[in-house]
Formats: sequence, structure tokens, C-alpha cells
Amino acid sequence: MKSHLIFATAAIGLILSGHAHAEEKTIGLSWNSKENEIVGKWEEYLQSEAARQGKEAGLEFRFVINVADNDPTRQAANIEDLINQGVDLIIARGEDSAAIGSSIRAAKRSEIPFITFDHGSTSVQPDAHVSGDSYNQAKSTAEAFVALMKEKGVEGQCIELQGALKDVNAVNRSKAWHEVTENSGVVTTLQSVPTEWNPEIFRSGTVNAFRANPNANCLFLGSDFAISAVRSALESMDKWAPAGDPKHVYIATQDLFPEAVKAMEDGYIDVGTTFDAYEHAKEAIRVAITLIGGGDPECAPEGCLAAGRIATPANIATLENLWSRQ
Amino acid sequence: MRTSRILATLGDAHRNLGLVLALLAVMAGFSIAAPSFATTDNLFAILHAMGPSTLAATGMALVILTGKIDISIGSIAFLSASTGALLMEAGHSPLAGFAAILGLGAVLGAINGFLVAYLRINALIATLGTMMAYRGIGLIFTDARVIPLPETMRSVANATIGPVFIDTVAVVAIVAAIQVLHRSTSFGRSLSAVGNGEDIAARIGLNTRRTVFLTFTLAGLLAALAACSSFIQVGSVSGFLGKGLEFNAIAIAVVGGISLAGGRGTIVPGVLIGAAAFQMISNGLNQVNADPYIYQLVTGAVIFVAMYMDAFKRAPVR
Repeated sequence: MKSHLIFATAAIGLILSGHAHAEEKTIGLSWNSKENEIVGKWEEYLQSEAARQGKEAGLEFRFVINVADNDPTRQAANIEDLINQGVDLIIARGEDSAAIGSSIRAAKRSEIPFITFDHGSTSVQPDAHVSGDSYNQAKSTAEAFVALMKEKGVEGQCIELQGALKDVNAVNRSKAWHEVTENSGVVTTLQSVPTEWNPEIFRSGTVNAFRANPNANCLFLGSDFAISAVRSALESMDKWAPAGDPKHVYIATQDLFPEAVKAMEDGYIDVGTTFDAYEHAKEAIRVAITLIGGGDPECAPEGCLAAGRIATPANIATLENLWSRQ
Repeated sequence: MRTSRILATLGDAHRNLGLVLALLAVMAGFSIAAPSFATTDNLFAILHAMGPSTLAATGMALVILTGKIDISIGSIAFLSASTGALLMEAGHSPLAGFAAILGLGAVLGAINGFLVAYLRINALIATLGTMMAYRGIGLIFTDARVIPLPETMRSVANATIGPVFIDTVAVVAIVAAIQVLHRSTSFGRSLSAVGNGEDIAARIGLNTRRTVFLTFTLAGLLAALAACSSFIQVGSVSGFLGKGLEFNAIAIAVVGGISLAGGRGTIVPGVLIGAAAFQMISNGLNQVNADPYIYQLVTGAVIFVAMYMDAFKRAPVR
């Protein structure tokens, strides 16, 4: 009994001393905006991964978070505040890929490691860039879609609903879609509609494009966050039908937002590539711990990029860590 | 009396004649380039799509007529729609949800009106503040989630009376009511009087504070109606709802002949022409498969021409 008590006391002591000796580090997290639900998920995963990976590395992380409401000037001021507070590392999703460069320079002057997250910098190289790979995301979707069309023996006559043309992710996705499909021999893009990520334009653009191209039988979406708008447009033309129905319009998409997950489960969306918020956060914290320790995160020249996973009605129910299904 | 009103409306139409002719030319161009453009179905699609921006621009036009501006209408649309969507998601009836959207829109507009009319805060500054605050509250409420329209309401989005969408009928009725309010009531006439000179309007006995307060309240209500229209059409509320709506509304009002200096302009036909112009151009560019980068250039050019025409009309004769 006495030996058990001694063992238990020693164990508690070890745990407490372990806590006492975990080195405290502060991460400054600068969001350009929080108007998309994926940002909330990123924040949640960054904090949970910081707690998990930090514990393994003997570090205890604290976050200082600010939001710039889509204003590059305010984001520069926010990051200046983080620098003045003496944070140990900055993770920033820049509003403007050129303007974020001045903040990176300011952090370098103060010897604070800087990670650009999701949105990269076109002006100054950060210590690391962590992101999903928007080009590869659309490339894998397009390749899977081409394979599907070949398998079905269908000639795809598609309408593309692009994102905002100033958004590098939207531009990369469009570029990858065209590069793959233009040489496929089975998929043709009849029309590209710029939506500015505005759901109302997703709706009206879909209606207009189908009116101009009545023979269209497929859609490529820059993102499926606005799938309900596309659904509404297709319903107005009696074209919202699941796979197998003669009225079915084939849909290839990106991201797999919650409503899109349901639409895919029900057979309305044929193929998509996930935007893995969890993998992005996990990678960002791995890189952060390496940089804080003075190491090299060993990113590829284009950054530490987390690939998405192909989702289809056949595997959507079994994909692990899918943020939009939790 | 009735004849004089018709003549007045024709006079207003005459003032927008240049724009109408330009629009007809654009329509002819699109019709030649895209056979699907000049069809009845496409006309109704244009009317349907312009619903939310028409309602928002009608509210904005009333505010601009008083010589003020309200740049918070996009945030009012977002916060009120978010609140209604959350109520419906929590199991409340769609009727209760939409009533909440309208009620909250009017209250948020009334707050703007109180700040501008009674606390005498500059309208641009007051609504800049509420624009940020309202959107921030909406994002806190929703956690930036996409909240879908209840399945029971989805059929309303595409319900029609004959070939006309139900929400288009509602928009026409609302705009007609605002037109009557503007042209046939003392409140409506007082808008232009306040816009032409608040001090003079006060000296002739008009309750200018009450007029400004009610105008902002009405603009809030119309922003909420725009939110309802968008919510029903799109089938969900996301953080993007209402984003940039204020600038679209200002552009529509200006293109429709509402003077930014206040006191001059009409809802019918002015705002309707402005809203139709933007939607028709967007629709036509879609139909002719225009380069995606051309859209903003064309929209900017239309606003520039309208501003130039406004400045030209206001320039003193020498």
C-alpha cells in the first residue's frame, strides 16, 4: 500500500512538473476575414492541433487572434500589434497577396517567424507557406470527372461557375479544370461564368448559361459553398435530379461544404475534391513547431501543401476527418 | 389629377430617355449576338434575378432623395436574414422567421435613422459604423455558417403565376407601393424637400427629423425584403449575403437618375431602369459568353456614364 502511494505521488509529481516545465509560446493568428465557416473550422483545428502537437514537443501554446474584415490596411495594423505584443510566431491568411509582404518584412525585422496560410504572398517570401493545393484540387476533380464521363460514355458539355477572379485559388482551379478537360476528348467547357463568389450570381449565372447553351449537361463549380443556389437554378429548369435520372446534370465540384456533402450523398453531385481544413491546420502547427525550434520545415518550393481527397457518392460516407460532415 | 400624374411619370421617363435608348441599343446588340437573349423566358429570368437589388436600391433611393446615404443596407440584409434563418433552423415556422427578418430590418433601419436624425451624426459615418457592427453581430450569431432554407420553403423559390415568378410579383407590388408613397403622399414629397435643403424645409414647417428617421427605417425594411428575396432565390444564408449590396444599390439609383446631391429622381421608372440595366448587361454578357474579365469593366463604364450624365444635368447653364 505504501509503495503504491509513493508511486502515485511520484507519478502526479512527474505530471505536474511536466506541466510546469512546458515552455509557453504564443502564436499570433491574423485572419483576413471570418465570413466563411471554414475559417472557424481552421481556427478550431489549429488550436486543438497546437494543444496536441505542442504537448508532444513540450510546448504550451497560447493564441492571440485578430480579424481584418477584408481590409488589407487593417490586417497590416493587426499584424503590427501582434509583433508589438512579442508573439513567438505569426500565422496569417492575407487579404491581399501583395500587401501582406510589408507585414512579412516587419516580422522578419523583429525575428518572428511568419507563416502564410491558405493565401500566399506574391511580394515577399515568408518563412513558410501552408495551404491546400488549389491547382491540384481542381486537377484531381477534373481528372476524376473525365474518367467518369469516359466510363459512362457521355460527352460532357459543361458550364463553369468561376470564383472571384482576384482570388488566386479561384484562378488556379479554373486553370486546372481547363488544362485537364481541353485535352480530354470527352469534356468541353461551353461557357465560363464569373460569380465573384456571390450566391445570387451562382443562381442567375447558371440559369443564363443553360439558356444560352440548352445542350449543356454538366457543371464545374469553383466551390460548392453555393450549391443551394445552383440547386435552385437547376430546379427552376427541372434539371435537379440524381444520377441515373435522365434529367441529371453531372456536377464536378470543390471543397465539400456541408450542403454539398448531403447533395453528394443523395447522388446530385458526381465528383469533388475535399478542402481538408484539418490537414491544413495539422501541417501549419507542424511547421510552426519546427520554425520555433529553429529548424527547417522542409516545404516544397511552392510551400507545404496539403492535398485534397477525391470524394464521390461511393466514398463520401467513409472519408475520415471531413470537417463538413462533423 | 390622374392625368397630371401620368404626365409627370411620362416626364420622368423623358428625363431617363438617353438611358432608355442606350438600353434598347444594348438589348438589340445582345439579341443579335445571342438568339436566347430576346425570349420571353429570358425576360422573366431577368426580372426574377433583379428582385433583391431592385428592393435594396428602392430603399437607397429614398435615402439619397433626402440628401443622405445609407451604406449599412447590405449588413442589415445579412443580420436580419441570419436571424430569421436561425429561427427557422431552430424549428420556428417560416412565417415567424420571415416576420423576424422584416421586423429586425425595420428596427436596424430605425437605429440608423435615430443616429442621423436625432443625434445629428453624419449619415456616412453613422452607417459606416452600423455597417460593420451589424455584419459583425450577424457573423457572431451564425458563426459564418451557411444556413439553408427549410425544405418546405424551397418550392417557393421557383413558384410562378403563369410565366411570372411569385417573388417578381411581390417586388412589383412593393415598388408600386413605394412609388405611390413617394409621389402621392406628403411624406413622399417631403423627401425631395429635405433633399433640396433641410434648413429651408424645416423653416416651411416640415418635420425634417421625423422624415429622415422614417426614411432610414423604410430603407432598413426594404433591405430586409431584399434579404428575403435573396434567401428564397438562393436557398440559403451565408456570410456573402448582402456583401456589396449597398454599392450595387447606389449604382442602380445613380444610373436610374437619382441625384447623389439629393432632392431629384424617381422610383418608377428611374430605379427600375437602373436595376434592369445592370441585370440586362450581366445576363447579356452571360449569354454571349463574354470574357469573365469584361464584366467589371462594362459595369464600371455604365456607372461612369451615369455619373457624368448626372453631373452634366446639374451643371449651371452658362
